[in-house]
Amino acid sequence: MTKFIAKRLLAGLILLAAVCMGTFFLAHLAISDPTVALLGSSATPEQQAVLAKELGLDRPLLVQFQAWLSSAITGDLGTSWRNQQPVWDQIVLRVPVTLSVVSFAILISAFVGVVCGLIAGLNPGSTFDKGVKIATVLLFALPGFWISLMLVIWFAVRLRWFPSFGYVSPAVSFGGWIRSITLPAVALALGAIVMIAEQLRNQVIAVSQQDFVRTLRSRGLSNFRVNLHILRNASPAALTVIAVLFASLLSGAIVVEAIFSLPGLGQLTQSAAQIGDIPVLLGITMVSVVFVVIIYVVLDIALGWINPKVRLK
Amino acid sequence: MQFKHKIIATLSAVALSVGLSAPALAQITELKIGNFLDITSWDPAMADIGFDGPYLSAIYDPLLTVDANGDVQPVLATSWEYSEDFLTLTMDVRTDVTFTDGSGFNAEVAAANLEHLQASARSGEAYTKVSDISVVDEDTITITLKERDDTMLYLMGLGRSYMASAAAIEAGTLAQTPVGSGPYTLDSSVPGSEYHFVKKTDHWDASTYPYEKVSIYPILDQTARHNAMLSGQLNVAFADPINNPQAEMGGWNVTESLAGWVGLQILDHDGERLAPLGDIRVRKALNHAFDGAAILQAIGQGAGVKTNQVFTAASGVHDPELEGQYEFSIEKAKELMAEAGYADGFELSMPMSPIFATWQPVVQQTFNELGITVTWDDMQMPDYQINAPKYPMFIAFIAIDSDPVANFARQFSTPQWYNPSPDYVLYAELTDMVDAIRDADPEEQIRLIKILNKRLTADLAWWVVWYQAANTYHSVSEISVTGITGMMFPTLRFIQPK
Repeated sequence: MTKFIAKRLLAGLILLAAVCMGTFFLAHLAISDPTVALLGSSATPEQQAVLAKELGLDRPLLVQFQAWLSSAITGDLGTSWRNQQPVWDQIVLRVPVTLSVVSFAILISAFVGVVCGLIAGLNPGSTFDKGVKIATVLLFALPGFWISLMLVIWFAVRLRWFPSFGYVSPAVSFGGWIRSITLPAVALALGAIVMIAEQLRNQVIAVSQQDFVRTLRSRGLSNFRVNLHILRNASPAALTVIAVLFASLLSGAIVVEAIFSLPGLGQLTQSAAQIGDIPVLLGITMVSVVFVVIIYVVLDIALGWINPKVRLK
Repeated sequence: MQFKHKIIATLSAVALSVGLSAPALAQITELKIGNFLDITSWDPAMADIGFDGPYLSAIYDPLLTVDANGDVQPVLATSWEYSEDFLTLTMDVRTDVTFTDGSGFNAEVAAANLEHLQASARSGEAYTKVSDISVVDEDTITITLKERDDTMLYLMGLGRSYMASAAAIEAGTLAQTPVGSGPYTLDSSVPGSEYHFVKKTDHWDASTYPYEKVSIYPILDQTARHNAMLSGQLNVAFADPINNPQAEMGGWNVTESLAGWVGLQILDHDGERLAPLGDIRVRKALNHAFDGAAILQAIGQGAGVKTNQVFTAASGVHDPELEGQYEFSIEKAKELMAEAGYADGFELSMPMSPIFATWQPVVQQTFNELGITVTWDDMQMPDYQINAPKYPMFIAFIAIDSDPVANFARQFSTPQWYNPSPDYVLYAELTDMVDAIRDADPEEQIRLIKILNKRLTADLAWWVVWYQAANTYHSVSEISVTGITGMMFPTLRFIQPK
């Protein structure tokens, strides 16, 4: 298992280096001269040149990347070009917001998705199953931003159960924290629920038709015990979907963070991209890749725990 | 049809009930502002003059401010006077003001601040002609200019004269930890998300700031700002005019203030880069070809005024008689093009960035009708600012100033990103007029600028102005916002109980 995890981590490191390099060069290609955005339109070419030298922009791109990489390896992600604050401090401030929303969204979607998928899969063709199918089509068809807006209009503006924007830290108020992340998490979760439910439903139907299930039933096991066996055999697919969703919701949170004005990684990415704050963009990329690598390592461990055959492979 | 009517009626009822269900705030003690961007920097030297006003005016007192008409008014500077040659400005400052670090304000601190502001690329725009800043005594400074500058006081009043603790400037920590003498102190904040301020009861001008608390939320998405107003989480917001009907239905105040002109900026009046633009008839044809009123309604949501001039109606320079100069007429435009020898149009390249894409179809369609073939070069906004002036003409949204002399300078005679090499110098007549304006007394300056405006607009078709666009602010019924042309978001002194 240790060798297996080490291999995964090594692959993650290679992925991290490749993504950071890609981000670095693409950002420099997209923004020809960040000093204009940083100094404002009234800056003279001389002032722009001085800033470019201060930021090291007068050096070849490869040298700039090497310098950034050598600092990043030691944990120093540099300082923001926009506000001179350490990049790490800004990311640390934003990560809890994005993680809160995404984790809550995954929690909601995993619970609801698994329950719906299991019931629908165990009762194929039932009214409930048909209802899940209709909901799946509807939620796939409706754009996420529209769902978010409807949630805000009804639950924040009209009923005033939740705030329409902003984030409250759990350290300030636990209730406030839950209220501030509920609507964004639900907005993110709705799409995820149907994916998990659909995946699990299909898998449950497939597993239910396997010989070992018939054998278990013929041995006189209760329905509950049989269903547990079915769920255990069907769960790897759902787990994989949940892991993939977790990774994709991290990036998908940008839209939700904008609509709910949450100070998360998405908002930071948006503002950094607008003015070409490359150190911040690189820092966010690095942290995001680390998250994705961790998620997939955890997934592999979980799959191995559920199904020992995966470990052997 | 009946079903459609039912849907509309239901939605109207929901919108109405939502609007009217805003809480009745009998006495508002906390100002909750939805700004459209986060603060650029807490260091006034690195801050933006446009939208950082609410943040900075909470923490810092400026030397000067402007009033609703753009006239300069005293704050920490109590009086000022220019020498006869307009090259030396003597300014008296208050000495009864204390910064949050305990240090006091006086002429020496004012001079240190001005030197700090002058050295920065952003705030330095106000002090480009300053050659020396001297302390005369504890409450007097003199600013010596290399040449006369009639825009400096106005720019200082707009937001380029915020005073900070000299020790904080020296330490270089202002960007992280603001130390000012303003009416509020920063109580808590989540950078990029929310900033909470509490009032200083012993502030020397406390009566100008009636609210006990001020919270400012940078909310980038306009729909999110509007929803936050509807849900009662904000009581003042930078708004989208598309929501004005709902705001009015809910009893909110809707304030508009002119912000900039929209149209085509021409940088090649002698036709060196694109020969047709050197012909006044072609420039006049372009003025006739666009239906500014329709563009204002369709794209600008009606927030602004249809005009063909770059000066506001309140500036004293704007000439109402010029408004009928370029009636919308494609036929007239085609006639002029034909007269100039371009009946079949011509080819040109223009830059394009997402921000300006909203006007691109109008330009494309109009140019098609005139036979002009345009090639669009796509780029991001920072690159647009660098590259647009390299083209002979480009779509522009250019900020305007309430002060007519500053507006004349920034639109016409001084280098700006949208006009890096003012080409009036190629014309002796215009150069003489600019010189005359520079050397005239303030009252005479306005008369001369008015003459120049007429010459540029009516005779030379210097710009292609479609309309002047306005910024819109929504506030609950108990709060009044005074919009200031030149400030994207007004400072706290312009947000008062109604």
